[in-house]
Amino acid sequence: MLVWMGLLYACTAPTTRSPEGTVRIRWARDPENLDPLIVSNASAYEVANLTHCSLLMGREEAHDFVPWLAESFPTVKHLGDTLLQVTYRIRPEATWDNGTPVLARDVALTLKIMNCTGLPTEMAQAMFGFIRDIRLDSADARRFTLVCAGQSPEHIRSSGDFSVLPEYILDPQGQLRTVSLADMRRQPTLAAAQALARRYQRLQLARHPENLPGCGPYRLSAWQSGRYLTLRRKKSWWADVYPAPPYQLQAYPATLIYQVIPDAATATLALRRGEIDVYGLMPAAEFTRLQQSADDRQRLAFYTADAYEFLTASFNVRQPVLRDAATRRALGFLFDVPALIKATQQGAATPSAGLISPRMKEYYNDSLALPAFRPAQTVAMLRQAGWQRQPTGRWQRTSVQGTPQILRFGVSYRAGEPSFETAALQFRAAAEAIGIEVELRPTEQAVLSRQLQAGETDMCIRNYSGNPFSYDFTALLHSRGIGASNTTQFSSPLTDHLIEQITTTEDTRKKRLLLRKFQRVMAQEMPFMVLYFLKYRVAASRAIGVVPVSGLKPGYEAARISPIKTPL
Amino acid sequence: MTILLPPVKQRLAAGWLVLVVLAGLFAPSAVSPPDLANINQPPFQGGHWLGTTSQGLDVGVSLWQGARTLLLVSLPAAFFTLLAGAVLGGTAGYWGNTRLRITHFQLALALFALLLTGLLLTYFPRFAFWILAGVPAAAAVAWAFLPGSTRSATRLALPLDSSILGLIALVNSVPLLVLVVAAAAVQRPSLTGVVALLSATCWPTPARLMRAATLQCRTQPYVEAAQAAGIPSLRILWRHIGPNALPVLLVRFPLTVAVLISLETTLSFLGVGLPAEMPSWGRLLAAVRQAPPDWWLILWPGLAITLTVLSLQRISGSENRR
Repeated sequence: MLVWMGLLYACTAPTTRSPEGTVRIRWARDPENLDPLIVSNASAYEVANLTHCSLLMGREEAHDFVPWLAESFPTVKHLGDTLLQVTYRIRPEATWDNGTPVLARDVALTLKIMNCTGLPTEMAQAMFGFIRDIRLDSADARRFTLVCAGQSPEHIRSSGDFSVLPEYILDPQGQLRTVSLADMRRQPTLAAAQALARRYQRLQLARHPENLPGCGPYRLSAWQSGRYLTLRRKKSWWADVYPAPPYQLQAYPATLIYQVIPDAATATLALRRGEIDVYGLMPAAEFTRLQQSADDRQRLAFYTADAYEFLTASFNVRQPVLRDAATRRALGFLFDVPALIKATQQGAATPSAGLISPRMKEYYNDSLALPAFRPAQTVAMLRQAGWQRQPTGRWQRTSVQGTPQILRFGVSYRAGEPSFETAALQFRAAAEAIGIEVELRPTEQAVLSRQLQAGETDMCIRNYSGNPFSYDFTALLHSRGIGASNTTQFSSPLTDHLIEQITTTEDTRKKRLLLRKFQRVMAQEMPFMVLYFLKYRVAASRAIGVVPVSGLKPGYEAARISPIKTPL
Repeated sequence: MTILLPPVKQRLAAGWLVLVVLAGLFAPSAVSPPDLANINQPPFQGGHWLGTTSQGLDVGVSLWQGARTLLLVSLPAAFFTLLAGAVLGGTAGYWGNTRLRITHFQLALALFALLLTGLLLTYFPRFAFWILAGVPAAAAVAWAFLPGSTRSATRLALPLDSSILGLIALVNSVPLLVLVVAAAAVQRPSLTGVVALLSATCWPTPARLMRAATLQCRTQPYVEAAQAAGIPSLRILWRHIGPNALPVLLVRFPLTVAVLISLETTLSFLGVGLPAEMPSWGRLLAAVRQAPPDWWLILWPGLAITLTVLSLQRISGSENRR
């Protein structure tokens, strides 16, 4: 009865329309933590990019980074064999909310925060630890030079990819101006550093990011965890002075309201009823269904973009049964990728042999085999890995310590996501057919993130995001990322070395060879198995105008939606 | 409707229930692989007679396997619900507020055992079974054999009836579904967990029935005669009150099963309680959320649930009339 009533309700005409200048967007999950040092999911990243500015911003159409807070792309000078000097100048128009200009010393303070003991700097260290020093230009308060370890072009781009934070709030007295970055690292007990850490923590940015307004176009105005988050555009933002601002400095909607709706079907209902305007990353089946309905075609516009995000089955390599690569590779043959693509993506996704998109022909290792569904191969490989099938049909082996191990593990995934669930069900059926015991664990996203961080999962079906301009796998797969974003907890001296070489090499040919080798090693070690690269699907109300889409998460550019003034 | 005479209806109801039980007993335990080439297939096409879900699961096979889940959850849960109801209702009805008098020592012993059980359960949750079995057993032995446990001049009357009625009021004060969903959402999904949860929340109605029946029996002359003859209370309850009060409860059995089936399917529909890999009618019904136009995902499981619940009510109704 409830279902019927729900369906009837769903078929009724839209009941609400957003006020002029407001765009309501669906989020699958809450940002959870809005501390700029801990940007742990796509929603938090989206908020960070709308409230703060970095020096550079990655743009898909450019296949590269473009200047954002920086006036132009930085100039680079090599210093000996190992160091790199990257010189930036901040746009003279850029100001903080109190009207003071954004200066080089704000960047210096941001870097000092990333090196401040007592703050959650693990992620920043993994990503920006290569920035060794900052030298301010005495003649120009907006010009500065970053001294980077290694001479990689990756480092030039990454060196400008962090949110710049305001000094006037975090260090109003300027006590840290005389302290160098090296001192911050070397002397954790420095009084000024400790005071900074205390001030930063007092702001409680995880829940109250409004205490530290950035120089981005939006400011957080309301946030109710798990329900909604509202961003309001600043009345006068510094980039408003540009008569024709470049893409990265465009911000049109007056209000952005993000509604947290984890369940895909509920989100579709909300879109059809006009309770949200934009539904990014829509499941393929829902998207096709809406496209086929004449009613929905009239009210909604449909967009697609080839994405750099991929679906993976990631293994926790610290779990005893999944510790050896042979077992992980064997399990990889239990996914029927072509059938999954057909069933969950309506055939529109690209299978891949590794973590680089097949679209990036230059770097993709096309000599590796694509994932194949071969349970017989799994049986043979499990035997090679030391597993023996018992009379009960289950698999067992003796561990190094001499205790018997049973091939039994859980598969976690975000509850309510159809593509994850279908992949998990297909894998489980294939695994059970050959005697592997698999327990499905659909888990709420926040709990799943915590479990992944704590290394409590066995195998997890999840998406990873990539991009077409940076090949820095430090956070994802380097030993430095363990405990932060390397949730597979995989590392080896060889892959660590390869990751470092990839990020430090300038020679495109050498980089291509290294990336191909890295993909080969990953296929051997298999800390995660790439199933396919997605296509992003965005459905949006026609009433809000054209939605610019992109192959980068979240699939749309909220700030560049230019709402139509007259209601339809 | 006049064509269907009551016995025919009952026979139809019984026939359907037998079918469900047989389906549950002979359901295949092997996981059927999803047919990803034929997702969202309408009924009576290809190899899937009742259609498929958006994940390629065969609706017919899922219904069949769901029948086993239904038996595995609702029958044990109904048994434990009635057992708890019988024990608590019988206790409240027989002893009332004044008829069970214990010494201070016995009271202290009971409180100590309760406290110890709570503490042990908090710190050693892994040994829950042994704690729940061992501590009360040890307390019972001490109660029976320790000198001084019965020798005392002053005795306290235990307000058993008020306490149990209070407990019933407490459980009933929260809507059943809210209580069950809240508890199911925090615990890890498991079959035993769902059975325990349903038993722990559904006992008040049978307990009330049993209490009323016991109160009625207790005033019968043969019970008073037995008491006057000095027969122990437990024996009176077991031999003289039980056989007369229990049928009242047994009539309630089909209705209890019906309530539990509705609850179990609701929990599965909401995606809590049972493990994700366990086929269930409620979960099948929930699949329609991912594919709203697939009417067969509502029709078949909806029909199965409705027929089962109606059959149980019909059987229960005829028992009542008898």
